[in-house]
Amino acid sequence: MERLAAQLGRAVQGKPEEVRRVVTCVVAGGHLLLEDMPGVGKTTLAEALARACALSFSRIQFTADLLPADILGAQVFHAQTATFSFRPGPLFRQLVLADELNRAPPRTQSALLEGMAQGQVSLDGQTHALPSPFTVVATQNPVDFSGTYPLPDSQLDRFLVRLSLGHPAPDVEARLLTTRGAASPLPSVEAVTGPEELASLRDFVQDVRLDAAVADYVVRLARATREHGDLERGASTRAVLALGSAARAQALWEGRDFVTPGDVRAMLVPCWAHRVLLRSAVQGVSARDEAAHLVEEIARKVAAPR
Amino acid sequence: MKRPLRLRLALRDLAAGFAFGAMAMSGQLPVWVLVLFLGALVLALFDVRLVARFHRLSALGLLVVAVLLGLQLTSGAMNAVVAACSFASLIAAQRMLSTPNAAAEGQTHLTGLLMVAGGAALSGDMTYALCLIAFGVLASLSLALGVVEAAVPDGEPVPVRAVLRPLSTGLMFAVAGAVAFFVLFPRLNWAMVGPRSAPGLGAVSSAGYSNTVRLGGAGTIKGNPRVVLRATLTPDPGREALDAYWVGRTYDTFDGMEWTNVVGAQQTERQITLRPASDTLLHQRIELLPAYGARTLIALEMPSRLGNAMAHTPTGTRSSPVQLQGGGEVRFTVSAPSYTYEAYSLPPDAKAGLSPGLVQAERDQLLALPEHLDPRVAQLAAQVLQGEKEPLAAARKLAAFLQRDYGYTLEQAGTPEDPLAEFLFVRKAGHCEHFATALTLMLRTQGIGARLATGFYGGTRMDGGYLVRAGDAHAWTHVLVPGRGFITVDATPPSNRPSQGSALLENLLAFYEAVEARWRNSVVDYSFRDQFELARALVRPPRRAPGAPANNAPSRLPPPRAWVTAAVVAFAVWRAGRFVSRWTGRAPVLEATRFLDRVDAALQKARVPRLEHESLEDLTTRLARDGHPLALALTPLTRRYLEARFGGRALREGEAEHLLATLRRALDAEAARRAVKPDGQAGPTARAS
Repeated sequence: MERLAAQLGRAVQGKPEEVRRVVTCVVAGGHLLLEDMPGVGKTTLAEALARACALSFSRIQFTADLLPADILGAQVFHAQTATFSFRPGPLFRQLVLADELNRAPPRTQSALLEGMAQGQVSLDGQTHALPSPFTVVATQNPVDFSGTYPLPDSQLDRFLVRLSLGHPAPDVEARLLTTRGAASPLPSVEAVTGPEELASLRDFVQDVRLDAAVADYVVRLARATREHGDLERGASTRAVLALGSAARAQALWEGRDFVTPGDVRAMLVPCWAHRVLLRSAVQGVSARDEAAHLVEEIARKVAAPR
Repeated sequence: MKRPLRLRLALRDLAAGFAFGAMAMSGQLPVWVLVLFLGALVLALFDVRLVARFHRLSALGLLVVAVLLGLQLTSGAMNAVVAACSFASLIAAQRMLSTPNAAAEGQTHLTGLLMVAGGAALSGDMTYALCLIAFGVLASLSLALGVVEAAVPDGEPVPVRAVLRPLSTGLMFAVAGAVAFFVLFPRLNWAMVGPRSAPGLGAVSSAGYSNTVRLGGAGTIKGNPRVVLRATLTPDPGREALDAYWVGRTYDTFDGMEWTNVVGAQQTERQITLRPASDTLLHQRIELLPAYGARTLIALEMPSRLGNAMAHTPTGTRSSPVQLQGGGEVRFTVSAPSYTYEAYSLPPDAKAGLSPGLVQAERDQLLALPEHLDPRVAQLAAQVLQGEKEPLAAARKLAAFLQRDYGYTLEQAGTPEDPLAEFLFVRKAGHCEHFATALTLMLRTQGIGARLATGFYGGTRMDGGYLVRAGDAHAWTHVLVPGRGFITVDATPPSNRPSQGSALLENLLAFYEAVEARWRNSVVDYSFRDQFELARALVRPPRRAPGAPANNAPSRLPPPRAWVTAAVVAFAVWRAGRFVSRWTGRAPVLEATRFLDRVDAALQKARVPRLEHESLEDLTTRLARDGHPLALALTPLTRRYLEARFGGRALREGEAEHLLATLRRALDAEAARRAVKPDGQAGPTARAS
């Protein structure tokens, strides 16, 4: 994981925390939602991740006229044999970058949704298994809403972690200018692990011990979000499970084979801020910040096990 | 092989000790078994495993003992149950003293169980129940510790405290549950073993009824507070202390040293009538306790009818026919430690027919004098009476004289040739037998028929009945009054008639008796019937007061007290349930959490800056990020705490202390550093100003 983070750090400079979160999310076997302004390195991060893990990679630019068949693939008629055969779409990759996800119409989003949840796609009555490991890194622009289809809650719930990168620090930006220029950093990213190793790492994460006291803590946190006055809807059961696996991966980061309440708190905001629904009508960045703020407040109120 | 836990062995040995106690309380084990086992117990408790090296030899010794016990058994010198119990206790002693291993362990507990069973066959005493409970509790603790000890890997400390606390709670509930079970659930009396057959604690037959009364015998019996007799009287006189004579037998022949009877055994029947009944009979339901130790039936003066006797033997309860002996004595024909029977007596003032049930030979003896009677006796009698011929008046006159001029003493002056002359003319002091003998003989010298009566005097009220103690044993005189029969005249000074024991001892014993009576009524004899009675007493409608108006229709509903009881029980159950649920719902205080509390206390004492609600984990992370010097000490400690609390790797013995010591050192160093730093800063500032 450290090696992975180091490689990603080469591509996305000055963001060690965020890079760590990304690796945590991938190791936990979850999908990642990057939400940020254009031009802060979201795509670069995803591509670097694919390279460092030696995963097959595809990038799908979601647009308003994108159809499900464009991402899933289609039945193609072979004139010679007079048969149809399935030609896989760009979704059939181990790492898929869904750029500007919220620009695609709901139909297309739903097609992606099934792939994310079930690891398979249905097409013309046939199901096709997606490659394993299958990870989606989706990005969306929280500022420019015109012509977008906001992601439904059910879909947001399927992303393990939502992150925003933010602008790099001034000195990092300056260094970028002086050293890199226009050259892409991606070629410098080396493959340090493979799909098999990633899979075994994911197995390892599931073996991390989660004490009953910590499990109780997570459940109490979930209940607190459900009972909070400013939240329309609290954390779902899927959110609880997601926080569990994210905390497990986080524990691994610390070189532990058990989860502490600190791990839970560390992953709480990235894991849950996008899953709760606010009562207030704010949208975009401010909604995101407020949700994060509320979740943090809940974390302060709920006593951690001692 | 790791060393076994001392505590567990001690618990095991104590359990065996209590199991032995359950048998020993019956007082039937031979003394040498008592000595051997108690010696072994003491050695075992001091961890001296004497037999460990000579286990072959000791096994051989056991074999020899088994043969000896067998011989005693076949010769009839020992009861089979007693022999088996003795052998079981010796095996237990041998096992306790051998090398502690799993086999010895199991065998000790097994023999303990055998001993408890043997105790049940020997006695059903309250002390037995206490021993049984103690055995159960201690053996369970020891066994549970054994299981835990086996599960703990070598070199690891056994979590004794953690095991014993919940276990003790569980045992408490088990004992309470057993008691509740006992009270509430239907039970039947099996009567397989005679629960009353045991003589009880230190019981030695003390009343000592023999066929003779020998003047000059020891008088220590007057100080014996053991209860020999328990009686329920109908109609109940209701007084605290009875002023009554309980007669056992009478004597008619005196030879100068001893009182005997001319007539021996007569008819044997279920019930013997001594005197014709009148219409105001006093009914007595009497229980003779093992301390009594004789076979003579006792009844209040003057007994009319005795019988319906039940003998409580170790093999069960059976009815015993009774046999009439000379001197109006009635005896059980079955020998047993304790008996129950019924007696009817005439009230003291009733006219008993003339010399009832007396055969001619007995009648002739009433005026008989010993061969070598000191002539001074007759002279003294004549001198005191001064011509009084009316038998009762003469007897009272003589009794008053004796009470006035003679002292009471229990001390004996050797064995004089003529105890009566010694009493009347030399010592002028004696005990009840002397007074009674003197009165009887003085009357006879004056031609008035009289005989010696022995039995008990008095009776202390207890639980609606009366107790008579061994110390209440007494002797007095029956004067034959023509037309009225025998009348009791007591020459002994009144204050010396009842028991002469110490008041404290008597009170203590009375307390024990009271507890034991409760125990018998509510435990040993507690039956399905009693449970039924209890339930019925609760729901029975209240008895209407005699004067109350009968206008309110009798309600079919249970009375208020039933509702109140039900409410109280429901409330108690609810409270208990809440208590239990809170108890179990309470977060367990873990070793790691306790450790954390100590770390927190140490940090607070050292005034380490800490944010509100900041956990140790967060604090360490923050300090490490800031490069604080304390982080170096805190990081391993925090890691260990987290491992112990959430990682399932508990702190080892002494590890917490070690970590805390390291932390304290670091805190001290930090404090010293901080103390120096302000100086360093203050210096230039001071100079600058």
